[in-house]
Formats: sequence, C-alpha cells, structure tokens
Amino acid sequence: MAPLEATLPKSRKSVSMAAIFERFGLAIFLGVLLVAAALLSPTFLRPANLVNVLTIAAPLGMVVVGQAFVIMVRGLDLSVASLMATVAVLATAFKATSNDAIPVIFLAAIVISALVGFVNGWLVAKRNVSPFLATLAMMIILQGVRFAYTGGAPISTLPPGMSFLASGRIWGIPVNLTTLAVMAVVLSIVLHRSRLGRKIFMVGSNPKAAFLNGIAPDRVTIACYVICSVCAGIGGLFLLGYVGTVSNWVGQGYELDSIVAAVMGGVALSGGRGTILGALLGVAVLVVINNLVLLLGFPIEMQLIIKGIIIVGAAAFYRTRLV
Amino acid sequence: MSALLMDLRRNRLMMSYLIVGGLILLILVAGGVLSDRFLTWRNVTNVLQQLIVLGLVSLGQTFVVLMGGIDLAIGSLVSAVTVFLANFLDWRPDLVWLAVPLALAAAAAVGAVNGILTVVLRVHPLIVTLGMSSVIFGGTLMYRKEPGGSIPRALEDIAYRNVGGIPVSAIVLVVVFAIAGLWLQRTRAGRNIYFVGGDAEAARLNGLAVGRITVMAYALSGLCAGIAGLFLTARTGVGDPRIGAALTLQSITPVVVGGTILAGGRGGVFGTFLGVLLVTMLNSLLNFVGVSSYYQWIIQGVIIIVAVGFHTVRRT
Repeated sequence: MAPLEATLPKSRKSVSMAAIFERFGLAIFLGVLLVAAALLSPTFLRPANLVNVLTIAAPLGMVVVGQAFVIMVRGLDLSVASLMATVAVLATAFKATSNDAIPVIFLAAIVISALVGFVNGWLVAKRNVSPFLATLAMMIILQGVRFAYTGGAPISTLPPGMSFLASGRIWGIPVNLTTLAVMAVVLSIVLHRSRLGRKIFMVGSNPKAAFLNGIAPDRVTIACYVICSVCAGIGGLFLLGYVGTVSNWVGQGYELDSIVAAVMGGVALSGGRGTILGALLGVAVLVVINNLVLLLGFPIEMQLIIKGIIIVGAAAFYRTRLV
Repeated sequence: MSALLMDLRRNRLMMSYLIVGGLILLILVAGGVLSDRFLTWRNVTNVLQQLIVLGLVSLGQTFVVLMGGIDLAIGSLVSAVTVFLANFLDWRPDLVWLAVPLALAAAAAVGAVNGILTVVLRVHPLIVTLGMSSVIFGGTLMYRKEPGGSIPRALEDIAYRNVGGIPVSAIVLVVVFAIAGLWLQRTRAGRNIYFVGGDAEAARLNGLAVGRITVMAYALSGLCAGIAGLFLTARTGVGDPRIGAALTLQSITPVVVGGTILAGGRGGVFGTFLGVLLVTMLNSLLNFVGVSSYYQWIIQGVIIIVAVGFHTVRRT
C-alpha cells in the first residue's frame, strides 16, 4: 500500500516553507498574476473582461479535468480537441431548430465520446499501444470522419438554446461555470474519495504493484480514457455554444492547452499525482496569461510562445520538486 | 544467447520489411489495374519527386525515435525554414550561398536545443518538443502570417530538375538514406544511438556520453527538417508558416510502419524508407482513384494503429 500512502496528504505535523510552497505555490502565483494583471492593464478588472475570461475558461476547464484523469494513469490524450470539433459537428447533424433537441444532442455527444474514450483506452491498455500514438491516430481519424461528413464547409443549423450554454445564467450565475463546478466536484470526489480514485492513484504510481494488489490496471486505464473523452465531449458542446457556428477546427489547440494547464496544476506526467483543484488553478493561470497578452497589446502569437515556455518550465519545475 | 536475440530482432524487422514491401507491390498492381495512368513514367517521376520532404523528416524522426525520444517540433521547424528562406531571399536573392547554410545551421541548432533541454531539465521529450513547437510556430507567425516571399529561379530548380529522367531530389534522398543507414550500422557514433535507445541506463554505465548522443540525435533531426524545408521552399516558391504543420505527425507514420519501435533501440532507416514509399504511393493511388483527403486521414490513422498494434504484439 506504500504507493497509495505516498500520494495522500501527509499529517499536519511537519509544516515547512517548502511544503507550503509546494502545496500553494500555484495559488500564490495566480494571486501575484492577478494583482500584476490589475496593475498592468486597467481593462483587466472590468466585469466585461472578467466574464469574458471565465467564459473562455469554462470549456477548457472541462477538458482539463478529464485530461487530468488520463495523465494520472501515465497517459496523454491528444484527441480531445478533435473530439470536441467532431461532437460539435455531430450536434448540427440533427438539423434541429428547436431546443427540444438539446438533451438528445447531449446524450448523443456523451455516448459518442464515451465510445471514443473506450477505443483509446482499449488500444492503450489491451493492445499496449503508446498513449501518444493511439490518441494521435484517433485524432486524425476523427478529423477525417468530421471532414468527410461536412465536406470541409462549416455548418450552422443549431438549436437557438445552444448559446445559453455559453452566456446563459441561472440566478445570476453563468451556466457554464456552474456546470464546470459540478463536474469538478463530482470528479474530485471520484478521484479523492472513491474506490476507483484510489485505484487510479495506485495504477498511476505503480501499475505492477497495483496489479499485484488485485487491481485490474487495464480497466482503470480504460475508465480514465472514457472519463477524459466524455469531459472533452461536454466541453465541445459548451465551446460550440460560445462560438455559435461549427467550424471543422473548433477547439483546435485545446489538446496542448489542456496538457499545459494540467501539468502546470501539478498533475505529474509520470502518473499518480495531482488534484482536480490544481488542474483548474492551472487553467486559471493559463487563461489569465492569455488574456493579459492581448490586453497588453502583444500579438496573439505571443500566447503560443509563452505557452511553449510554460509547459517545459512547469514540467521541469514539478520534476525537480516532486521526484 | 545474444546472437539468438540479435537473430530474433533481425527476423522481426525482416517480417515488417516483407509486409511493407508486399503492400507496396499490392499498390503497384492495384494502381495498374485501377488506372491506366498510374504506372506511367510521368506519375512515377511525380511520386519520386514527392518523396523528398516526407522522406527527410521521417529520417530525422527515425534518429530520434531509435535513440528513445520523439520530435514533435519537426513541422514547425520546416515551416520556419520556408519562411526564413523566402523572406531572406526576397530581400537579397544573390545571397543564396549564405541563406541556405544559415537556415540549415539554425535548424540543426534548434534540434540541439531540444536535445539539451531534455538532457538538462530531464523533462519528457514529448513535452520539450511540443513546447518548442509552440514557441517556433508563434515566432514564425509573428514574422509572417500569410504565405509569401520569393526565391530565385536557381533554387526552384533543385525541386524539379531531372537527371536521365530521374528527379534529382529522389537521388538525393536515396543517397542520404544510404549514408544514414551505413552510419547507423557501421560507425561507433551510429551504433551508440541504438545503445542509448535500447537502455539509456546501461549505456551510461558502459561509459557512453548519453547526453551528447541525445543532443546529436535531435540535432540531426533538426538538420533533416531544415533540408526538408529547403526542398519545400524550392517546390512552392514561397514561405508558408503553416505548410509544415501536418508533417510532424506524418513523419511518425513511416517510422512506425517501417518497424522502428517507439520505445527506442530497435528498427532502422531502411524500414523508414519503405514506410515513406508506402505512404506516398498509397496517397498517390488514393488520389488517382478519387478518394478525398478526408478519407486519406482516416486511412492514415488506421495504418498507425494497425502498424503499432502489430509491432507491440510481436514485442510481448
């Protein structure tokens, strides 16, 4: 049971500066970043901008909480962005003009996503294909299926209510943030309180030990890929609500962003470490940085450069910190 | 015992060579049956001309994969080279002799930085090269957003010139692959790549400079991407910040199809060459038959999974 204990929070006896930094480093960084953003750009704290930032953050957050599960079992899902766009295209396939179709669209999206996640997980767990290649191939295949269906042209027959997913409010609270919060809480409980969560940590930190402890690593891995894909599928629908029309490239870049955010949030690529809250903090940092790049008048391409540096830097930071 | 292992390794590779070779023959036959123009000399030269770019990036990827890494910065690097060349030569077409070596040296240097970062930071190459790819792409886009620039006629010539009816680029590719193959098999430096890929820890304990070999493999990959960028610029005549984007993934397919194992240490450039032939000819055939590129994507994905699934099963 050693690997399990290693991943659980230590008792409160020993509190060192290093430990505090390790636990709250990202939160502190986010705080500093927010203060800096407020000082550097007068626009940053305007409600319109903050709402904008949060609206962009919500779909990414949904993808990241899923991506975290896959990374937790030493995997990686490069197909999330392609899946998001495919789900978005699927949503138009109903050619629905009334809101009655929205539940059906959601159901269909979840079923298709789960299927995609299952195939990814099956290839990785049962066929021993590297997660990188399996999800890469899935990415290309989904892309081909999508383009073959649309013929390359964007479509936009969507139920009018889809935009509610991006801008709607219930009791003044944005629907997308509520949904993200619900997903995050549920997945946190799954990860940190459920039997499956314990198995995920064990498989992630040491698959052989997990196997010897009577866990079927294959099933746990497949479950993680299914969770990841379903999260991405839901994120795809919310992103669709935000952009309104379906382009074949909706969500492009989310595979890199989701990995960057999760890694920055302390989800270790070597598996078995991380929290959902940390991953969401990673999202917040990434989105604020992206927003700041634009507010300060830098070209948008600067985001790519910063993202690239962040992902390498964060991976290096946590490697030296935690290993 | 080790001789037996060696034999098994050879047999396994032989198997994939035979299979890929058989598939190539199948495509030739199918092409001849399905279209009366597929086997014409004109189409053959066309296919031969197309080999160079994919061939070079896959060769670079092979070095890195054999050494146990992966290079996801290839596509961005190719794009960056085309943009640099087209911009530079638009400004001073007379300085070709300076621009080309400069571009190749810079590409190799970027590759070396990838290697150095993986060695020094000990971060997974996937992350390092993904990050590098993002940085290069962002930088290239800041420089030029749309395709543009120009190159002198003399440079365009290298993409289209034929000698005795055979495209020069194809001859270059075969020579480069032959040299790479000999270098990997016959020289100490080349074999070290296999050692590091097979077991980096054992290689280190045997006194190999693992770090230096790693950096060398990535630098070679960068150099190959640079030369690919050169040929791509010669063919299109402009610099395009997005032209290489798809090449990153495409560079991996021939490597795994050719029997090189992603975990490192096993495989070789001959398999990659066959893989490049197979992929290029398959695309050509599918174009002839009128299959849209969308379905070609699906086929590419399936090929990766089948090839990798096949090799993994054989490994265990």
